[in-house]
Amino acid sequence: MSTAGRDWGEDAPERFYVITRGHTQPAGRAALDLVTLIVSRAEPTPSMPPEHAAILRLCGSPLSVAEISAYLRLPVSAVTVLLADLVAEERVEARASVPPALLPDRALLEAVMHGLQRL
Amino acid sequence: MLGAGSSPGRRRSAPVLVWLLPTVVTAAVAAVAVTAATPDSRLPVAVCAAVGTLAVVLVAAEAARRGRATEELRARAVQREGELIRRLTRQETEYIRLAKSVLPAAMARLTHGEGLEDVVNAYTLQDVTVGAEFRSAQQTLLRAVLETVENEEALRESSRRSFVNIARRVQAIVHRQAAELRVMEHRHGNDPAVFDDLLLVDHGNALIGRLADSIAVLGGARPGRQWNRAVPLYSVLRGGMSRILDFQRVELHPVSDVAVIGPAVEPLIHAVAELLDNATRYSPPHTSVHLTAVEVQTGIAIEIEDGGLSLSEEGRARAERMLLEAQAGIDLNELGETPRLGLAVVGRLSRAYGFQVSLRPSAYGGVRAVLVVPQELITTAPATGRAHGIGVTGSSGPEPVDDRRPHTSPPPRRPLSGSLPGPLSGGEDVPVVTERTATGLPRRRRHAAPTARIGVAQTTRTTTSRSGGTTGRAAARGGAAGSNSASAANGASAVNGSAGPGGPSAANGPAGSNGRGDGFGGPPDRPGADPSAPAGAVQPGLWLAAFTEGVNGTATTDHDNGDPTGRDER
Repeated sequence: MSTAGRDWGEDAPERFYVITRGHTQPAGRAALDLVTLIVSRAEPTPSMPPEHAAILRLCGSPLSVAEISAYLRLPVSAVTVLLADLVAEERVEARASVPPALLPDRALLEAVMHGLQRL
Repeated sequence: MLGAGSSPGRRRSAPVLVWLLPTVVTAAVAAVAVTAATPDSRLPVAVCAAVGTLAVVLVAAEAARRGRATEELRARAVQREGELIRRLTRQETEYIRLAKSVLPAAMARLTHGEGLEDVVNAYTLQDVTVGAEFRSAQQTLLRAVLETVENEEALRESSRRSFVNIARRVQAIVHRQAAELRVMEHRHGNDPAVFDDLLLVDHGNALIGRLADSIAVLGGARPGRQWNRAVPLYSVLRGGMSRILDFQRVELHPVSDVAVIGPAVEPLIHAVAELLDNATRYSPPHTSVHLTAVEVQTGIAIEIEDGGLSLSEEGRARAERMLLEAQAGIDLNELGETPRLGLAVVGRLSRAYGFQVSLRPSAYGGVRAVLVVPQELITTAPATGRAHGIGVTGSSGPEPVDDRRPHTSPPPRRPLSGSLPGPLSGGEDVPVVTERTATGLPRRRRHAAPTARIGVAQTTRTTTSRSGGTTGRAAARGGAAGSNSASAANGASAVNGSAGPGGPSAANGPAGSNGRGDGFGGPPDRPGADPSAPAGAVQPGLWLAAFTEGVNGTATTDHDNGDPTGRDER
């Protein structure tokens, strides 16, 4: 089994479903997408799972869900479950980045395009 | 006369006298009769007396001879009997020795791997007088017994090996499956439906893995995989939770910030999983099981309490006896038709790794299982393993980010770039992790090339983007400074065009160290140069800042605050 063990490599013994505690919470998750900005509204407490605590520490300044996922090396879906828990506990606040109603008009988009080209 | 004369002065003289006495008496009586008889009848009387005396003498002599012969026979019989008894005693002793000491010793030698012939030949009789035949008979017996034992042992060994072999194959499949599932979970992390289904499959896979591990352990092999690094205790406990059916019911409390050394990780995970499985299985489905770990004098005590039925004293004794029996060694053939593997496995692992397990009634009314991990299996050194990419374990609450602390061993990175969600792996905004904070979190540093390139772009900006106006540019500068570490909320406010005269100061205030832009005035400063800013603070939203710049039409000022020339141009 040594080869199998090596293939399994450096991962941690716990699986994702334990980190998400088996929650799926489709309702809370639906509001969160990759670019939703998360900002923490509470300090991490010692009794928290490390992932929750890490999210609260990370989100001292707003971070997108995608970035949190990258920092924690957790899949986005797992992160959204954690975030949905935290939102339900009102420890973090989620803000949609750009509400669809406020999407910029064509002129603005062109400005964006020009800006991006000049990057 | 014959009898008296033939054996004078011996041990037999008294009996001989007994035979002599009638002869003498008869002779005396005959003499008296002869003297008392009338002269004419004296001759017949004398003849009669002589004949009678002779007859008595003959009979007495014969009796004496026979008596002597009987005596001799009896003595010989006694001697012979004694000899027989002694011999019987020797044989009996030898037989008892065979049963009580020789056979067990021979079995022990056999089980230690000595050859059958050697063991049989090594057996010699203590008492050589019992005879060669007896010796060879005993050797035959010994050989027969040992052969039977050896065959049995071989059979058992082969069945054990096949058990372990099958378990190993299942383990290999499960491990590969688990690795693939993890890759898939990362790959499909964006699709909640797929992700949730993958988690279900993953869970089932872990359950199969635990069963295979149990069989391997009962077969005398190591459980599953090996870890070549220390793993935080918190991860170990969650690893145990990963392998049971009802993991949602387990409440993991904060544990000491210690790690378990590599070789003990897998057995500990497995033992914890089995105890948790017992706890969840034998308690009502709506109750929760408490899992915690505290430091004790001898190591770390992992406590598992359930709210099920209390264990009666009898039941507790039975369970502990089971543990003890398991520690002494388990016969796979004795597990029965409905094997209760859990405690047997825990007992086996405890013996192999020095865990101490005890079961007690719990304050919650159920059972409290305590597993003490000895000190030598615990390390307080910072474990290189992380709880899922997070360099902290449960007990380390709010921890100030501080990168002055020497960061000697950067945690190993998993090659995940290929399986990151699309938007992150796509553009050039992928954070380049050049170093890590003390807590193992990646820290972004701006790479050199874009800065240089933007420095070039900076010159063009002066001619092309005047139309943006000074306020727009100031806002852009604010956004630019904020792009390092300021809150993206400031960026968002810049998007909404609220970057008035107050905009820049709010945006580039403390370079986002407080992340709220709460009017911390002062010049736009580089984040690294600001002493009040924790240098390790996470720098969010490069791409978002770029987006903000683009929206404001002054994108080129984005990256220039690392460039003194760009700053001078303003």
